[in-house]
Amino acid sequence: MIIEIALLCGLVLFSAAAIIFRDLLKAAICLAVASLLLGIVYFRMKAPYIGVFEISVVAGMITVLFIVTIALTKTGGDVREARAAAWIFPIMLVLFLVVDVFVVKSLIDKIPALEAAPEQGTLGEVLWKLRTLDLVGQIGIIFAAVLGVLALFRKRSKDE
Amino acid sequence: MSNTWLFYMSFAAVLLFIGLYCLLTMRNLIKLVIGVVIGAKGFGLALVATGLDKKNIILAQALAITFVVVEVCVVAMALALIINIYRKTGSLDVRRLTKLKG
Repeated sequence: MIIEIALLCGLVLFSAAAIIFRDLLKAAICLAVASLLLGIVYFRMKAPYIGVFEISVVAGMITVLFIVTIALTKTGGDVREARAAAWIFPIMLVLFLVVDVFVVKSLIDKIPALEAAPEQGTLGEVLWKLRTLDLVGQIGIIFAAVLGVLALFRKRSKDE
Repeated sequence: MSNTWLFYMSFAAVLLFIGLYCLLTMRNLIKLVIGVVIGAKGFGLALVATGLDKKNIILAQALAITFVVVEVCVVAMALALIINIYRKTGSLDVRRLTKLKG
Protein backbone atom coordinates (compact mmCIF):
# COMPACT_ATOMS: atom_id res chain seq x y z
CA MET A 1 0.00 0.00 0.00
CA ILE A 2 2.91 2.35 0.71
CA ILE A 3 4.08 2.08 -2.89
CA GLU A 4 0.59 3.00 -4.11
CA ILE A 5 0.49 6.04 -1.83
CA ALA A 6 3.89 7.18 -3.09
CA LEU A 7 2.89 6.65 -6.73
CA LEU A 8 -0.41 8.50 -6.35
CA CYS A 9 1.23 11.39 -4.48
CA GLY A 10 3.73 11.63 -7.33
CA LEU A 11 0.83 11.58 -9.79
CA VAL A 12 -0.86 14.52 -8.05
CA LEU A 13 2.43 16.42 -7.76
CA PHE A 14 3.29 16.04 -11.43
CA SER A 15 -0.27 16.96 -12.47
CA ALA A 16 -0.03 20.10 -10.35
CA ALA A 17 3.40 20.84 -11.85
CA ALA A 18 1.91 20.52 -15.34
CA ILE A 19 -0.42 23.40 -14.46
CA ILE A 20 2.07 25.54 -12.59
CA PHE A 21 4.87 25.50 -15.20
CA ARG A 22 4.76 28.45 -17.59
CA ASP A 23 6.85 26.58 -20.17
CA LEU A 24 4.47 24.42 -22.20
CA LEU A 25 7.14 21.84 -23.07
CA LYS A 26 7.88 21.22 -19.40
CA ALA A 27 4.15 20.99 -18.72
CA ALA A 28 3.71 18.37 -21.47
CA ILE A 29 6.60 16.28 -20.10
CA CYS A 30 5.19 16.49 -16.55
CA LEU A 31 1.89 15.24 -17.97
CA ALA A 32 3.69 12.28 -19.57
CA VAL A 33 5.39 11.39 -16.28
CA ALA A 34 2.02 11.59 -14.50
CA SER A 35 0.52 9.18 -17.06
CA LEU A 36 3.45 6.81 -16.56
CA LEU A 37 2.87 6.79 -12.78
CA LEU A 38 -0.86 6.19 -13.30
CA GLY A 39 -0.02 3.28 -15.59
CA ILE A 40 2.14 1.72 -12.87
CA VAL A 41 -0.73 2.20 -10.37
CA TYR A 42 -3.02 0.32 -12.79
CA PHE A 43 -0.52 -2.53 -12.97
CA ARG A 44 -0.45 -2.67 -9.16
CA MET A 45 -4.26 -2.76 -9.12
CA LYS A 46 -4.09 -5.96 -11.21
CA ALA A 47 -5.46 -4.22 -14.28
CA PRO A 48 -2.64 -4.75 -16.79
CA TYR A 49 -4.56 -4.07 -20.01
CA ILE A 50 -5.60 -0.55 -19.14
CA GLY A 51 -2.09 -0.01 -17.74
CA VAL A 52 -0.62 -0.82 -21.14
CA PHE A 53 -3.14 1.49 -22.80
CA GLU A 54 -2.40 4.31 -20.39
CA ILE A 55 1.36 4.06 -20.85
CA SER A 56 1.42 3.53 -24.62
CA VAL A 57 -1.44 5.77 -25.73
CA VAL A 58 -1.74 8.52 -23.12
CA ALA A 59 1.90 8.78 -22.03
CA GLY A 60 3.24 8.13 -25.53
CA MET A 61 0.91 9.35 -28.22
CA ILE A 62 -0.75 12.32 -26.50
CA THR A 63 2.68 13.64 -25.48
CA VAL A 64 3.84 13.46 -29.08
CA LEU A 65 0.71 15.31 -30.20
CA PHE A 66 1.29 18.00 -27.56
CA ILE A 67 4.94 18.46 -28.50
CA VAL A 68 4.10 18.72 -32.21
CA THR A 69 1.45 21.34 -31.44
CA ILE A 70 3.82 23.29 -29.19
CA ALA A 71 6.49 23.21 -31.92
CA LEU A 72 4.00 24.45 -34.54
CA THR A 73 2.75 27.32 -32.36
CA LYS A 74 6.07 28.33 -30.88
CA THR A 75 6.04 32.08 -31.44
CA GLY A 76 2.60 32.66 -29.93
CA GLY A 77 3.30 30.64 -26.84
CA ASP A 78 3.76 33.49 -24.37
CA VAL A 79 0.26 34.02 -23.07
CA ARG A 80 0.08 36.10 -19.92
CA GLU A 81 -1.78 34.02 -17.37
CA ALA A 82 -3.77 35.72 -14.67
CA ARG A 83 -1.40 36.57 -11.85
CA ALA A 84 -3.84 35.45 -9.18
CA ALA A 85 -4.19 31.97 -10.72
CA ALA A 86 -0.63 30.99 -9.81
CA TRP A 87 -0.73 31.77 -6.11
CA ILE A 88 -4.35 30.86 -5.43
CA PHE A 89 -3.77 27.34 -6.78
CA PRO A 90 -1.67 25.98 -3.85
CA ILE A 91 -4.13 27.45 -1.32
CA MET A 92 -7.13 25.96 -3.12
CA LEU A 93 -5.36 22.60 -3.47
CA VAL A 94 -4.55 22.44 0.24
CA LEU A 95 -8.12 23.46 1.13
CA PHE A 96 -9.47 20.77 -1.18
CA LEU A 97 -7.12 18.15 0.28
CA VAL A 98 -8.44 18.97 3.77
CA VAL A 99 -12.10 18.41 2.88
CA ASP A 100 -11.45 15.76 0.20
CA VAL A 101 -11.67 12.53 2.21
CA PHE A 102 -14.74 13.64 4.19
CA VAL A 103 -16.63 14.75 1.09
CA VAL A 104 -15.81 11.57 -0.82
CA LYS A 105 -16.69 9.45 2.22
CA SER A 106 -20.09 11.08 2.58
CA LEU A 107 -20.81 10.85 -1.14
CA ILE A 108 -19.56 7.34 -1.79
CA ASP A 109 -22.31 5.59 0.20
CA LYS A 110 -25.04 7.48 -1.61
CA ILE A 111 -24.05 6.13 -5.02
CA PRO A 112 -26.31 3.21 -5.82
CA ALA A 113 -24.23 0.35 -7.18
CA LEU A 114 -25.66 -1.77 -9.97
CA GLU A 115 -25.93 -5.46 -9.32
CA ALA A 116 -23.09 -7.01 -11.25
CA ALA A 117 -22.89 -10.64 -12.23
CA PRO A 118 -19.83 -12.46 -10.89
CA GLU A 119 -16.96 -11.97 -13.21
CA GLN A 120 -16.17 -14.55 -15.82
CA GLY A 121 -14.05 -14.84 -18.95
CA THR A 122 -11.13 -12.84 -20.24
CA LEU A 123 -10.98 -9.21 -21.26
CA GLY A 124 -11.40 -10.15 -24.91
CA GLU A 125 -14.65 -12.02 -24.23
CA VAL A 126 -16.05 -9.21 -22.11
CA LEU A 127 -15.03 -6.54 -24.60
CA TRP A 128 -16.26 -8.32 -27.72
CA LYS A 129 -19.37 -10.11 -26.44
CA LEU A 130 -20.67 -8.05 -23.51
CA ARG A 131 -19.71 -4.55 -24.61
CA THR A 132 -20.08 -4.85 -28.39
CA LEU A 133 -22.04 -1.60 -28.57
CA ASP A 134 -19.11 0.26 -26.98
CA LEU A 135 -16.88 -0.93 -29.80
CA VAL A 136 -19.35 0.39 -32.38
CA GLY A 137 -19.28 3.71 -30.56
CA GLN A 138 -15.49 3.70 -30.51
CA ILE A 139 -15.34 3.09 -34.25
CA GLY A 140 -17.77 5.96 -34.81
CA ILE A 141 -15.77 8.33 -32.62
CA ILE A 142 -12.44 7.45 -34.27
CA PHE A 143 -14.08 7.94 -37.69
CA ALA A 144 -15.49 11.31 -36.64
CA ALA A 145 -12.12 12.43 -35.23
CA VAL A 146 -10.25 11.40 -38.40
CA LEU A 147 -12.77 13.23 -40.60
CA GLY A 148 -12.60 16.29 -38.35
CA VAL A 149 -8.80 16.46 -38.41
CA LEU A 150 -8.78 15.95 -42.19
CA ALA A 151 -11.33 18.73 -42.63
CA LEU A 152 -9.28 21.10 -40.47
CA PHE A 153 -6.05 20.44 -42.37
CA ARG A 154 -7.38 20.28 -45.91
CA LYS A 155 -5.75 22.41 -48.57
CA ARG A 156 -7.68 25.55 -49.27
CA SER A 157 -8.80 26.05 -52.85
CA LYS A 158 -7.89 29.33 -54.49
CA ASP A 159 -11.33 30.94 -54.54
CA GLU A 160 -11.80 30.61 -50.76
CA MET B 1 -17.31 0.31 0.99
CA SER B 2 -13.70 -0.56 1.62
CA ASN B 3 -10.90 1.72 2.66
CA THR B 4 -8.98 1.00 -0.53
CA TRP B 5 -11.89 2.25 -2.61
CA LEU B 6 -12.18 5.44 -0.54
CA PHE B 7 -8.42 5.97 -0.88
CA TYR B 8 -8.41 5.68 -4.67
CA MET B 9 -11.59 7.76 -5.06
CA SER B 10 -10.06 10.55 -2.95
CA PHE B 11 -7.07 10.73 -5.27
CA ALA B 12 -9.39 10.66 -8.30
CA ALA B 13 -11.25 13.64 -6.80
CA VAL B 14 -7.98 15.53 -6.36
CA LEU B 15 -7.05 14.93 -10.01
CA LEU B 16 -10.49 16.10 -11.11
CA PHE B 17 -10.10 19.24 -8.98
CA ILE B 18 -6.74 20.05 -10.60
CA GLY B 19 -8.22 19.58 -14.07
CA LEU B 20 -11.24 21.77 -13.31
CA TYR B 21 -9.07 24.48 -11.76
CA CYS B 22 -6.93 24.51 -14.90
CA LEU B 23 -10.02 24.78 -17.11
CA LEU B 24 -11.43 27.64 -15.05
CA THR B 25 -8.33 29.84 -14.67
CA MET B 26 -5.86 29.30 -17.50
CA ARG B 27 -5.80 31.43 -20.64
CA ASN B 28 -3.45 29.41 -22.84
CA LEU B 29 -5.38 27.08 -25.17
CA ILE B 30 -2.84 24.24 -24.84
CA LYS B 31 -3.03 24.53 -21.04
CA LEU B 32 -6.79 24.04 -21.28
CA VAL B 33 -6.30 20.76 -23.14
CA ILE B 34 -3.77 19.70 -20.47
CA GLY B 35 -6.51 20.35 -17.91
CA VAL B 36 -8.92 18.11 -19.81
CA VAL B 37 -6.33 15.31 -19.88
CA ILE B 38 -5.67 15.60 -16.12
CA GLY B 39 -9.40 15.44 -15.39
CA ALA B 40 -9.70 12.39 -17.63
CA LYS B 41 -6.97 10.66 -15.62
CA GLY B 42 -9.14 11.12 -12.52
CA PHE B 43 -12.15 9.57 -14.27
CA GLY B 44 -10.12 6.57 -15.40
CA LEU B 45 -8.74 6.00 -11.91
CA ALA B 46 -12.27 6.18 -10.44
CA LEU B 47 -13.57 3.63 -12.99
CA VAL B 48 -10.82 1.08 -12.36
CA ALA B 49 -10.92 1.57 -8.56
CA THR B 50 -14.68 0.93 -8.55
CA GLY B 51 -14.15 -2.21 -10.61
CA LEU B 52 -11.51 -3.36 -8.13
CA ASP B 53 -13.85 -2.83 -5.19
CA LYS B 54 -16.88 -4.50 -6.79
CA LYS B 55 -14.80 -7.53 -7.90
CA ASN B 56 -15.47 -6.71 -11.54
CA ILE B 57 -12.11 -5.45 -12.73
CA ILE B 58 -12.31 -6.90 -16.26
CA LEU B 59 -15.54 -5.03 -17.07
CA ALA B 60 -14.03 -1.88 -15.58
CA GLN B 61 -10.98 -2.29 -17.80
CA ALA B 62 -13.18 -2.69 -20.88
CA LEU B 63 -14.99 0.55 -20.01
CA ALA B 64 -11.72 2.34 -19.24
CA ILE B 65 -10.24 1.31 -22.60
CA THR B 66 -13.27 2.85 -24.33
CA PHE B 67 -12.73 5.98 -22.27
CA VAL B 68 -9.05 6.21 -23.25
CA VAL B 69 -9.98 5.96 -26.95
CA VAL B 70 -12.52 8.76 -26.58
CA GLU B 71 -9.98 10.88 -24.68
CA VAL B 72 -7.37 10.50 -27.41
CA CYS B 73 -9.88 11.46 -30.10
CA VAL B 74 -10.92 14.56 -28.14
CA VAL B 75 -7.31 15.63 -27.62
CA ALA B 76 -6.34 15.08 -31.27
CA MET B 77 -9.36 17.07 -32.45
CA ALA B 78 -8.74 19.87 -29.93
CA LEU B 79 -5.07 20.21 -30.88
CA ALA B 80 -5.97 20.35 -34.59
CA LEU B 81 -8.46 23.12 -33.78
CA ILE B 82 -5.80 24.97 -31.76
CA ILE B 83 -3.32 24.89 -34.67
CA ASN B 84 -6.01 26.31 -36.95
CA ILE B 85 -6.92 29.02 -34.43
CA TYR B 86 -3.22 29.89 -34.15
CA ARG B 87 -2.94 30.25 -37.92
CA LYS B 88 -5.96 32.57 -37.99
CA THR B 89 -5.23 34.77 -34.97
CA GLY B 90 -1.47 34.34 -34.43
CA SER B 91 -1.94 33.79 -30.73
CA LEU B 92 -2.87 31.08 -28.24
CA ASP B 93 -4.72 33.45 -25.94
CA VAL B 94 -8.28 32.39 -25.27
CA ARG B 95 -9.29 36.06 -24.80
CA ARG B 96 -8.52 36.78 -28.44
CA LEU B 97 -11.36 34.54 -29.59
CA THR B 98 -13.94 37.30 -29.61
CA LYS B 99 -15.09 37.23 -33.23
CA LEU B 100 -18.57 36.09 -32.29
CA LYS B 101 -18.91 38.74 -29.60
CA GLY B 102 -21.89 40.98 -30.24
